[in-house]
Amino acid sequence: MPAAESPFWNPKNETMPRDQLAALQLVKLQRTVEWAAERSPFYRRRFAEAKFEPSQLRKLDDIRRIPLLTKDEWIRAQEEQPLFGDLLAAPAERAIRYHLTSGTSGRTPLRVLDGTRDWQWNSEIWAYGLWALGVRPTDVVYLAFSYASFIGFWGAHYGAEKIGALTIASGNMPTEARVRQIVELGATTVCATPTYAIRLGRVAREMGIDLAKESRIERVVLGGEPGGSVPATRRLITELLGGECGDFAGMTEIGTNMVVECSHHPGGPHIVEDHIFEEVENPVTREPVGYGERGERVVTSFGRGMIPLIRYKTGDLVERMPHTSCTCGRTFDLYRGGILGRADDMKVIRGTNVFPAAVEAIVREYREVDEFRIVLEREGDRDEITLLLELHPHVTDDVREGLCERMAAELAESHEGLRFNVVLADAGSLPRFELKARRLEDRRPQHSGAAS
Amino acid sequence: MSTTASDMLGQPLTDVEASVLALYEQTKSILQRDDLAPCVRHNLVQSLAALAQVVNDLDLRLEHLYDLGA
Repeated sequence: MPAAESPFWNPKNETMPRDQLAALQLVKLQRTVEWAAERSPFYRRRFAEAKFEPSQLRKLDDIRRIPLLTKDEWIRAQEEQPLFGDLLAAPAERAIRYHLTSGTSGRTPLRVLDGTRDWQWNSEIWAYGLWALGVRPTDVVYLAFSYASFIGFWGAHYGAEKIGALTIASGNMPTEARVRQIVELGATTVCATPTYAIRLGRVAREMGIDLAKESRIERVVLGGEPGGSVPATRRLITELLGGECGDFAGMTEIGTNMVVECSHHPGGPHIVEDHIFEEVENPVTREPVGYGERGERVVTSFGRGMIPLIRYKTGDLVERMPHTSCTCGRTFDLYRGGILGRADDMKVIRGTNVFPAAVEAIVREYREVDEFRIVLEREGDRDEITLLLELHPHVTDDVREGLCERMAAELAESHEGLRFNVVLADAGSLPRFELKARRLEDRRPQHSGAAS
Repeated sequence: MSTTASDMLGQPLTDVEASVLALYEQTKSILQRDDLAPCVRHNLVQSLAALAQVVNDLDLRLEHLYDLGA
């Protein structure tokens, strides 16, 4: 079969029977752990403290002998041995790329390095995903992303080039210029965060351009923040931009995507299981959870060797489903609904758990809403949650009337009766985002700062 | 050059896999030399990184190549 006709980037592994896939993962896990033990002082120390030796890895479950790695530990290692800490398994001068992500305390960013082969791997996993969503050499891939140190869609750029697509970097262009380029250059695929995809579509409308009708967009690759699997968000993006949405999720710590959505749209992205080993654990008991149960992702990468990543505690909440949930033919399992939120995003308001992603799923059902913000405050000894809504200027008074009450009722119904103060904000008063949207502001004492 | 005729799961190699693996091993072998011109060394490093990805995708080899510059 000619390459362009293959539905799979890597047919051998993407359709591999599960028992063989598990055997492959075990071999790769053994090599990854041996490499880390041999070359990384951090892991050597860590394994010794846990009385673990690579030879103990005889089956996949044996990975649980290895302690979890947290972001705090990683940052602490970098603070103790600036700039990159002793997780490094190769000299820093072998690196060709540097990226960073925010730390948990806000003081020190997490810094990562990639070698030449690591970066090939990074773009490869993107190529798996872009191909699965339908990108081919004849496509024009537009990256609505500012580049710089945030890893964002860097890997998508190189993955699209690897496929042979015309790949367009928009850099720090204003949104209006990006809209014009998307139309002029005939972009068929746009990569953006869900938030920015919506913004692109809305700015285009303000310019008198309906991208859904006047562009060649066939697909929108969503990543960089949760929301790419939220049905209302996807419907809105498709309405504004045209084309089908694909939810991708990765992280700087791994260097690339770990989950990618195929063109069959099974309701969540597939895990790229031949390159990444994923466990899902109960965040409290740390016991593995079964298919369909919500838990926290723990990730081991078989890719980047410069900074081995073994049992990294991601904080992402997911529900794993068997590969048979999708009809595409891949034998890779998937995450129903993508990344459902973050364990540390959860806020407790008067005893009720509130996840920003769950609030967003309801807000996005209201097409009248242009932007929103969640504010948490302490009034006396009582926590209050306020949802600020900025509506489109064209929304008429009769539609405006009663909208807040309707939304508050819907939010209460989905949050055990919790009362949300839903109020309208002035036009243009709420911040807009290009990359990771931070729409939750926790003003309660000891909770200051935007959380998500 | 490796003469192993199976992948990481012990399966026999196809013709394409055997050819790709030979290219990979040959590229590694050339990069061991210390008399390569910069244009040769650095372009071969790029080739080796790409070949390393192919042999990884085909389950033939999983190796880190920092010592060879990749």
